[in-house]
Amino acid sequence: METLDIPLVNLAVAFLLLLIPVGISIKYGLKLIKPLFVSIVRMTIQLALIGVFLKYLFQWNNAFVNIGWLLVMIVVAVFSSVKSSSIKISSIFLPAFLSFSFATLTVVFFLNVFVVPVSSVFDARYLIVLGGMLLGNSLRGNIVGISTFYRQLKMDSNHYLYVLSLGATEKEALMPYLRESVQLALRPTLASMATMGIVTLPGMMTGVILGGASPEVAIKYQILIMIGIVTSTIASVVLTIILTKRVCVDRYGVLRSDVFRKETPSRRKKL
Amino acid sequence: MSGTSAVIEFAGVNLSFSGKKVIDDLSLVINSGDKVVISGKSGCGKSSLLSLVLGFVKPDSGKVVFSGVAVDGKTAWKVRREIALIDQDVSLGSGSVESFLEFVSELKVNAHLDFSPHKLMKFFHLQGILHKNLKDLSGGERQRLAIVVSVLLNRKVFFLDEVTSSLDANLKNKVADYFLGRQDWTCVVVSHDPVWLESPSVRVFDFEEKVWKH
Repeated sequence: METLDIPLVNLAVAFLLLLIPVGISIKYGLKLIKPLFVSIVRMTIQLALIGVFLKYLFQWNNAFVNIGWLLVMIVVAVFSSVKSSSIKISSIFLPAFLSFSFATLTVVFFLNVFVVPVSSVFDARYLIVLGGMLLGNSLRGNIVGISTFYRQLKMDSNHYLYVLSLGATEKEALMPYLRESVQLALRPTLASMATMGIVTLPGMMTGVILGGASPEVAIKYQILIMIGIVTSTIASVVLTIILTKRVCVDRYGVLRSDVFRKETPSRRKKL
Repeated sequence: MSGTSAVIEFAGVNLSFSGKKVIDDLSLVINSGDKVVISGKSGCGKSSLLSLVLGFVKPDSGKVVFSGVAVDGKTAWKVRREIALIDQDVSLGSGSVESFLEFVSELKVNAHLDFSPHKLMKFFHLQGILHKNLKDLSGGERQRLAIVVSVLLNRKVFFLDEVTSSLDANLKNKVADYFLGRQDWTCVVVSHDPVWLESPSVRVFDFEEKVWKH
């Protein structure tokens, strides 16, 4: 069973659907046309480029290139998750990168070695596609987890210091915040797993079925990818917090204020 | 321990927050058993004295010494275990009173303590709050709960930051008498309440003028 190719002209027809959101936006003054247009153009260009890129990537199928590309994806994922927290990227890029890489690579290689019978664990089709699925899906969890941890710690600093004054070790004092962040980070994944197949028909399955595989195969892939997502999300959130904490919390156990981004540019000191 | 050994010592301490000078070349000694009240306008940085000893803020220059040991990133952890703090906002956190007490008693450092709060809770009129949520307690109830916990920690040095602000006259006296009556306790009290300032057993340090008043 071959997937039906879509002629470019037909794809252009799909864009006509956008007349509906544009019409709604005009009627209700939603001011969504510009952001919609920008996002659509970005998506189209990025996907077109990646389509060409992936074509060659699959053709070459070189282990080093594949690993390299996976690392590029990890760098982008790290940037997006750190960017949405209030911490400076320069302070925690390296620890976050190490955590993401460790979590993603461990899960991908585990799946490629022990679960999916691929001939080469570096095979582009499995390494990059599975790695990308893991990164993309654990990204939201990571964003929630990392930003929650530091936001709570900062907002709750009086209570945190009180707990230190009670004689808590750093671990004892930080643990409640770690727990809360990881639970929040996992909540969407756990919720979507619990309704999977009934409410959500996940992208992975859609892709595999459209790609010509039977639903039975699609389901197996979906199951392994969900297990991978939960594992890599927990691992990367916890690892990122543990490793960034060494930078963001000083020897006194106090959250360093200089690792946070300045909220307003205050560059008006005695000129 | 002799009755007059120095517990806390500030030697030429300077501190500023985002460019604003809060403490300017302060030298101050607090001895074991002292009852010291720090007075001064609110917002002038009195609490930062306590934060310095606990290692929550670091001086720009000068030295803070606790029981003969300079407070730094390594020693601060030990210093905190010798001091019972009640902060101005009484930041006990959220959850039930019972779970809060459990959290405190389960900290490694407190494992050896006999952590039974009932007698003290009765003494400070706190019966029947165990199952309440901390957020639902009145300001006065939270202050008294923090007081009970500070006593249960079985420490000898107390940092009491505005701990009677929400209490009625009767309870204010009860709390002040309780702390000031213990000879072996060293108390550093931040307050502008006469119940502390006018007690004959305290020394008052004027934080703005940097002088002992009496």
